[in-house]
Amino acid sequence: MTIAPTVSGGLKLIPEEDQDWVVLLKIAHDGDGDLAQHFAGLMDEDSMWEDIVVPELESEFSTQRKKVLKDVMEARERKSDGLIIDRKDAEIWYGAFNQARLAMEEKYRFGPREFRDSDDFEDEEMRSAYFRNEFYGTVQSLLLEYVMVDD
Amino acid sequence: MNAVEAPVKKSETKSREKTDKPWQVVVLDDPVNLMEYVSRVLIQIFGFSKEKAHTLMIAVHQQGRAIVWNGDREKGEMYVNQLHSAQLNATLEKAE
Repeated sequence: MTIAPTVSGGLKLIPEEDQDWVVLLKIAHDGDGDLAQHFAGLMDEDSMWEDIVVPELESEFSTQRKKVLKDVMEARERKSDGLIIDRKDAEIWYGAFNQARLAMEEKYRFGPREFRDSDDFEDEEMRSAYFRNEFYGTVQSLLLEYVMVDD
Repeated sequence: MNAVEAPVKKSETKSREKTDKPWQVVVLDDPVNLMEYVSRVLIQIFGFSKEKAHTLMIAVHQQGRAIVWNGDREKGEMYVNQLHSAQLNATLEKAE
């Protein structure tokens, strides 16, 4: 996978083999967790978070994942040479990557980046998730550096 | 007569402000959110300067939590809602 900034201020993801498309298709799946419920657990019961805020957050998070999945599927079906994340969509993509990383952290407990080593993961599923997690984090950093910048 | 009523109203307002004040928005650390993103969210939601947002972000990272706002409960809940929408761990606590 090659990633490059575009002249219009976006970011282009250029899959070089089929496996790269598979990784992009996994973003939405990896992020499908209970993030809104997790946040409700941080609030006291009097706040009514479960009833009022959780449904809104679930809808917002689901919209992010669906949008990213749709963009990837459409680009793949078109046999496009890549997928451009425009500035207007950067927050949505960033959010979808973040959901994926938060859900994977909840599931695999990778811990802080500075203390990790890919050799720590003997289980193949966990190892694969670790590398996706690293990739998602790298794209997030690039989005922050090149796309989500103030005018 | 108006002159007598006015000070009473002022006193009620002051008293209400006092009871509504002791709530604080707390941002909690997590191993996922990127430090630059946390600063960015604090600037967007609270309008902090880059320096203040950076200082608070470092406090979250090093101490596990940081109080980022104090005030009444209703507004605090609105801020926590926005922080959750940005996928940051945050809660609302009654100040001690």
